Amino acid sequence: MAGPHPENGNGGAIAPPDPWDPLVRFSHWGIAAAVIANGLLTKPGGTLHVWIGWVAIGILAARLVWGLVGPAEARFSAFPPDPRAAISHVLSLFRPGGPREHPSHNPAAAMMVYALWLCLVVVIGTGLVMTDAKSPLQISQERAAVAAGDWSVLVNDDGESEGGGEDHDESGELVKEVHEVAANLMLILALVHVAGVAVESRALRRNLVHPMLLGSGKGR
Amino acid sequence: MTETTRGNGRTPAAALAAFVLVQGIAAAFFISDAAHDLSHGFGNMESLSELFISLVLVAGIFLASWQLRRMISEIKDKDRALAVARGNFARVIATQFTDWGLTPAERDVGLFALKGLDVAEIAALRGAATGTVRAQLARIYAKAGVSNRAQFAAFFVEELLADGAPDT
Repeated sequence: MAGPHPENGNGGAIAPPDPWDPLVRFSHWGIAAAVIANGLLTKPGGTLHVWIGWVAIGILAARLVWGLVGPAEARFSAFPPDPRAAISHVLSLFRPGGPREHPSHNPAAAMMVYALWLCLVVVIGTGLVMTDAKSPLQISQERAAVAAGDWSVLVNDDGESEGGGEDHDESGELVKEVHEVAANLMLILALVHVAGVAVESRALRRNLVHPMLLGSGKGR
Repeated sequence: MTETTRGNGRTPAAALAAFVLVQGIAAAFFISDAAHDLSHGFGNMESLSELFISLVLVAGIFLASWQLRRMISEIKDKDRALAVARGNFARVIATQFTDWGLTPAERDVGLFALKGLDVAEIAALRGAATGTVRAQLARIYAKAGVSNRAQFAAFFVEELLADGAPDT
């Protein structure tokens, strides 16, 4: 302790923050929970499914704002999308020297982040199209009105989409298809992400999950 | 000690981060409602006030994010200063140990003694007999020119206080 680690505490500047800042952590687990809940657990199109989707919109929006105004390692500029660097990073995992440390997400992880965000945006966008961008509050209000015998809430909507007809149904089917494909792709990417964290943790001999949870408490 | 210093300022930062996320969620719901109302007719007082509230909500998210970022960078600065202070103190101790000509084993024992471990604990940590540790401590005190552990520890406390102690 006295001597052998003169730079203890400063040497961490090259590695990602430990722990990650709270907004990155909370939004990460919030989105993860929302994706798992809506991808695997809730009834598609159900009220809960829509509620969770809207919560995900809010979390994603806050995280994207954070990508502009947050600390250096949380900002988009710290992990620009760079497919070539991503590939060379993945290859370096299998070379004797092992991967290099990066101050934020490594290039491969950065590509994963953008891929997941893109999937999220597609899933959210198609979800909004399918529900006419009505928040769950409005949906339940309308359902309550219909249940009470007041069908006028539905008339208004039909009037707006009148030009559509069969064409509207077909595009609705397509939107639904895109929603499901993007959602499944996101679940697969999430699995790849988890595998990537495991491989990278092993290569760096460092637990990469801890900084995303609470920090490693490595300060002895 | 490390754990408690790590905790400084982290709870408020986490609370603020959670607040920003909740703000984002609230804004998503409110703005969608406002957008719906606006699409049905612009210009009435209600839609205008909803538009205004939406803008305030979004501005609030940016402001809280900015505040959070400042808070996080302050925590980082504090941690860095603390690490430097800790590193410097460790260096002071190491230099002093070298000056006294302590052997590697004695340096170890001396450091444990400074951290407040008693003879039995040091012996257990080093896998040595308590008699050995006691003999090593005696040799350390002799080399340092002090007669007991309190004086030994005071030697370094004095070092810390040398410049900063207020006049009494």
